[in-house]
Amino acid sequence: MAPRPLSPHLSVYRFAYTMALSILHRITGVALASGLLVLVAWLLALGGGPQAYAAFTGFMGHGLIQVILGAWLLAFLYHLANGIRHLFWDTGRGFAKTAARRSARMVIAFVVVAGALLVYVFFWPAGGVQ
Amino acid sequence: MAEFQLPPGSRISNDGKTFKAPEGAKKVRRFQIYRFDPDSGQNPRVDTYEIDMATCGPMVLDALIKIKNEIDPTLSFRRSCREGICGSCAMNIDGSNTLACIKSCADVKGADVRIYPLPHMPVIKDLIPDLTQFYAQYAAVKPWLTTRSPAPPDGERLQSKEDQEKIDGPSACILCACCSTSCPSYWWNSDRYLGPAALLAAYRWIVDSRDDSTGERLDALEDPFRLYRCHTIMNCTEACPKDLNPARAIGEIKRMIAGRRH
Ligand code: HEM
Ligand code: SF4
Ligand code: SF4
Ligand code: FES
Repeated sequence: MAPRPLSPHLSVYRFAYTMALSILHRITGVALASGLLVLVAWLLALGGGPQAYAAFTGFMGHGLIQVILGAWLLAFLYHLANGIRHLFWDTGRGFAKTAARRSARMVIAFVVVAGALLVYVFFWPAGGVQ
Repeated sequence: MAEFQLPPGSRISNDGKTFKAPEGAKKVRRFQIYRFDPDSGQNPRVDTYEIDMATCGPMVLDALIKIKNEIDPTLSFRRSCREGICGSCAMNIDGSNTLACIKSCADVKGADVRIYPLPHMPVIKDLIPDLTQFYAQYAAVKPWLTTRSPAPPDGERLQSKEDQEKIDGPSACILCACCSTSCPSYWWNSDRYLGPAALLAAYRWIVDSRDDSTGERLDALEDPFRLYRCHTIMNCTEACPKDLNPARAIGEIKRMIAGRRH
């Protein structure tokens, strides 16, 4: 007799919002951790004198790098909001199906609104602080 | 480590057969059903059955029984009560785990009705998964009353109405395995993570006012894998056909363990 096959899982399971938000939390967590390397590079550049610092900021001003920084900002906002959602669960609240769906929508709404605002402030060429 | 791809012998081949609807059928619906024959030595496949819904009962289980009776007697699946209480007919229908006997075909939105066994389980035949490990995990949480105090001489061990209500919900679990096999953490770690069904059962005895082993029960769960593989993905609660909430029960267990540290 043939060994028992394993039934399909990821390929058949409906990709519900539950799974999407959960895997996104891990992805953004890893992205944030990688982003910390940039922070380290910044500190190194800061300690390395004006020339090193100028080279660093020049590099960071590059268009593609700016896009990555923008994505990192969105990842941070998502991880922050969904992290608060997790901490809320840890207090024993928000487990009802309707509540979990509502908090999922709140997280997404927060990322869209706060993300649009902060991307405008930090990255929009004409506006903002730069 | 999580293995995202199916092993070679588990992949679905393109050898699926199609059974056409009879002449003059009025309301044809196609059912795409996972098939595995252990005696054939071949990989699983997906067969397509065209069914005249005008002559078929409303539930997915009705369609499966119609196929078995009238079209293809080799199709294998478990069922018993046909009213959502025995837990036998759990399977993946239209991408979610549920009971075939209480899932209405009309509620399946797509054109075709796709039916697979419960996900990430060893398949015995067609829609029948091997539940040995699932039951062993249930047994591992000692799902029975343990006491140290002597039994009252004149009757049962009583509890208040409020205490009874705490176990009302979790006691309604029919061990269908819809929740555990919907859980990605269980897919990747079912050898070490107990899964939502077993943890809901553990919770049911932890909060039972008559049970004297609450501490030991919590000790047994305080483990990086047995309990803490739950990342609150909530698939379990979304899937449960009895509208129970294993994710909340797991959250409560985590809180009880955290709470007794100080
Ligand atoms: C730069 C800062 C941060 C980094 C590098 C980071 C990184 C990570 C990583 C790698 C994980 C593991 C993901 C997983 O196992 O699925 C994680 C989980 C988590 N993070 Fe963060 N994080 C950061 C900030 C935050 C903040 C500000 C919050 C709170 C609002 C937060 C809340 C959480 C929570 C609650 C979890 C656990 C989720 C679970 O139970 O699966 N994190 N984080
Ligand atoms: S809440 Fe926990 S048990 Fe339920 S699906 Fe998610 S990880 Fe699995
Ligand atoms: S909790 Fe619900 S889904 Fe899980 S085994 Fe029990 S009845 Fe089935
Ligand atoms: S046949 Fe008993 S639950 Fe479906």
